[in-house]
Amino acid sequence: MRQQRNDPIERAIDTLREPVELRPDFERRVMAAVASLPVPRRAGPLRLVAAWMVTARTVRLSPLGGLAAAAVVLTALLGGRALLGPGAESAPLGAPLAADGRAVQFVVAVPTASTVALVGDFNDWNAEATPMRPVPGDGIWTVLVPLGPGRYRYSFLVNGTEWLTDPTAPRTMEDDFGRPNSVVTVGGT
Amino acid sequence: MVDVEHAGDAELVQRVLDGDAGAYAGLVTRYRDRLGRYAVRMLGNQADAEEALQDTFVRAYRSLGRCTDPARFGAWIFGILVNRCRTVGAQRARRERTVIPDEGALSRAAVGDTADRHAWREAIAWAMARLAPAQREAFVLKHVEDLSYEEMVEVTGASVPALKMRVARAREELRRLLTEADR
Repeated sequence: MRQQRNDPIERAIDTLREPVELRPDFERRVMAAVASLPVPRRAGPLRLVAAWMVTARTVRLSPLGGLAAAAVVLTALLGGRALLGPGAESAPLGAPLAADGRAVQFVVAVPTASTVALVGDFNDWNAEATPMRPVPGDGIWTVLVPLGPGRYRYSFLVNGTEWLTDPTAPRTMEDDFGRPNSVVTVGGT
Repeated sequence: MVDVEHAGDAELVQRVLDGDAGAYAGLVTRYRDRLGRYAVRMLGNQADAEEALQDTFVRAYRSLGRCTDPARFGAWIFGILVNRCRTVGAQRARRERTVIPDEGALSRAAVGDTADRHAWREAIAWAMARLAPAQREAFVLKHVEDLSYEEMVEVTGASVPALKMRVARAREELRRLLTEADR
């Protein structure tokens, strides 16, 4: 049994999971509607192929395949930046490096923040997985993240509620319906 | 005579394809509550949800011969419902520009609630209506219907990273909205 928790999200989930009540005659109405239809026929191989050919499906195409070897994004900052590669090895925060020695240092300036988290494809957009650390005195927040070759979307989550893109990194609108994310690309060796 | 209560999905689908249209009632009874909850949570309006759900069952019946894995009828029809809710939501958005939540959708089953409990249900309905549809969809599939990300890919056609992003965005936005509603 789920416990009622103080977290409003967990409480909302508990409420949303409660059953809903449909009209008592729902089944009767559905069965009345299907009664006027012909008995469905099992699709033969040709019909299945035809259905497959006319069914819309998502095809993911990456323009990065041929560029992966050369793709090393190095964004210099003043509001924020993602620093990549061997230079990050001597970064002061001591986060572990990836097996191939690559890491990305994410940096953002948010002087008024009390917390800043890095969220992105690399941590399943988990707001608690990668908290950023403040650099004392100047409002800079930073974290070093080991990343394998690939393209990653990310954002900063400020004070747990405000989403902030990296002002110095490329942006993408894909998959988030109008809200931009930043993009970092880690090249292969 | 098929025992619809104990028959598996594959058996019921087979019966319908063999000409026993009445066996379809077993599938309707089996899935109506779960699918109905999804439709109500997505559309926030009981009448629209029931219409989308009825349309889903009728479309599924008509296309039953193309259900390639009848043992997984539930996942197959869930995908049809997800698409119907998207279509109904988009049509309504064009018509009304804003979603008009039906407070009854959440509070109907809440006779006897305290005033606080009723206000909480209204706050959730208000907040859910303000989520972007794709975020609401991902949130409901993940946290209300308890689907795995692999199952969500199957019914939405979106990628796992995209779905994880939408769930995370939805959680934070919902938290913000519920906090705002609480003030």
